[in-house]
Order: sequence, then C-alpha cells, then structure tokens
Amino acid sequence: MHDGGHAAVMEAHWGGGASPFGASWQKTMMWIFIVTDALLFSGLLCGYAFLRQAGTQPWPRQSEVFSIPFIALMTFILITSSMTMGSAVTAARLGDHKKARLMLGITILGGLSFLGCQAYEWSHLIHEGARLTGALAGSPLAAEGVPPIFTQAFFVLTGFHGSHVLSGLIILIVTFTRWGMHKTPSQGVEMAGLYWHFVDLVWVFIFTLFYLL
Amino acid sequence: MSDTQTGASPYRIYWVTWAILLVITVAMLAAEELHLPRWFLLVFLLVFMMVKAVMIAGNFMHLRFEKRNLAFMVGGGILVTSLILYGFVSRESRHVLEQTIR
Repeated sequence: MHDGGHAAVMEAHWGGGASPFGASWQKTMMWIFIVTDALLFSGLLCGYAFLRQAGTQPWPRQSEVFSIPFIALMTFILITSSMTMGSAVTAARLGDHKKARLMLGITILGGLSFLGCQAYEWSHLIHEGARLTGALAGSPLAAEGVPPIFTQAFFVLTGFHGSHVLSGLIILIVTFTRWGMHKTPSQGVEMAGLYWHFVDLVWVFIFTLFYLL
Repeated sequence: MSDTQTGASPYRIYWVTWAILLVITVAMLAAEELHLPRWFLLVFLLVFMMVKAVMIAGNFMHLRFEKRNLAFMVGGGILVTSLILYGFVSRESRHVLEQTIR
C-alpha cells in the first residue's frame, strides 16, 4: 500500500469510513475470523465445563493419566514457535528476507515437533484404552476409573486444536515457499503469524483448563 | 514509541514475552505439584492463564499496537460471549447434578 493509502487507513476512527479499525481489509478479516474461531473453542471449553461440573464420577488426577512434563515440553515448543513467528513477521516488515525465511523455517519445525508430540500422546493414550466413547473395559485407563467424559473431552479438545495446528502448518509451509520465491508480501507473513499465534493462544486455555485444573 | 525509534532491537519484545511466558508456565506447573488449597490453585491458574493470553494477544499478535476499537472488538467480544455462555452452562450443570444425585 502506498504511503497516502496507509496514512488514510491509520487515520480512520470510530466513525467508520473506509477503515474503522485502522487496519487493512485483510487484517480486519483475519481478526474477524479469529474471533469466530475463538468462539468455537469457547463453546467447546464451556461444553467441557458442563460435562465436568454435571458429572458424578470423580475426575482423575491428570498427572496420573498424562506425563505432565511431556505436556510442558509441548507447551514450550508452541510458545517458542510463537516467538520465532513474531520475529519472522518483524523481519518481513523490515525487509530482512533471509531472517524472515529462517524464522519461518524454525516455526515450521516447531509446529511439526508439536504435532509429532501430539501424535505420540494420542497413540499412547489409545494404547492405554482411551476411546472417544470412554475407556475400554479392562484397559489400564478403565482400571484407574477414568470416566467416559474425560476421554471424550481429551479427544475433542486436543483434536480440534491439533487440526488447527495442522492447518496452521500448511499455511506456514505455503507462506515459507512463496516468501522464498518473493511471491508473498510481508503482510502475507503477518496474516500467517496471526493465525499461528491464535493456535498458541488456544493452547494456553486447553493446557490450563484440561491438563492442570 | 517503537523499539526502532528507541534504539532497542525490534525483536526484543518477542524474547522478553517468550521468557515471561515460560516463567509463568513453570510457576503454574509448580503450583499444581504443591498441593495448594483447591480454591487458591483455581484462582492462581486462572489469573495466570489470562495473563498469558493477554501477553500473546498483545505482544505476539500486536493487538496492543492496533487501534483500540479493534482490541475492544476482539477481546471484549470473546470475553463477554464466553462469560455469558459459561454462566448459563454453570447454572445448568448444577441443576443437572442435583437431579442426578436425587
């Protein structure tokens, strides 16, 4: 966007006009999408709260079902990838093509590592007897008295989040490739970054409300 | 004033935010292990969860550098809707629990 256009966008105020949020239409649309997607997770987490509060079976201690240090490692990976993504956005804005590419690459590696960890966690829990309908009869999880809503909440919450990580990764790989070919403006990197940070943001809530509380 | 204007590295905000987020995460994990009273743990974890969310939205997603009406639309919209939804869900879940126990 040329300077005059940018100034017009930044000068827009509450009154509306061409740019009521002082942001380009791409960024405004991305934020509106993020709000709607956040409301999806808000609904899922409220559904989880309902099941848990209305349930009569005792909730298992998460540290007896999951390896909390492993979940902490996943959190570390996601937070770190968010930090490298932020650096990629700034490098792209400043025109540092090489650094933006490097940071995007590291972010993709972080995303792949997170998904690998999640695949391991899922396969481990499925091996222990976890199913979407509850713990299999006679399985180690059933012996621990894990209620069906525990495995249901686990698969639905982490599944939805994981699918967002996967789609975020696809967006990042496309952005990385196009940035390398000089076919994406810095705003393209910023849009991919917004989505990636949102994935990190959702994890903050799942990590606290499902794994810790 | 931007970081470049003050002479600081423009990447500093990400490193600092990353470090604070890690410290908070470790504190949350430690609190979970310390067998603190349930109400205290609940408040502690919820407060720091919100602090982390605000830091990610503000510093990583640059929301604090955007116009305030965008931040209000995003933060206010999600927060108010979620609280209303949780209010209804919480009330209904208590009702269901009472019915089940009876």
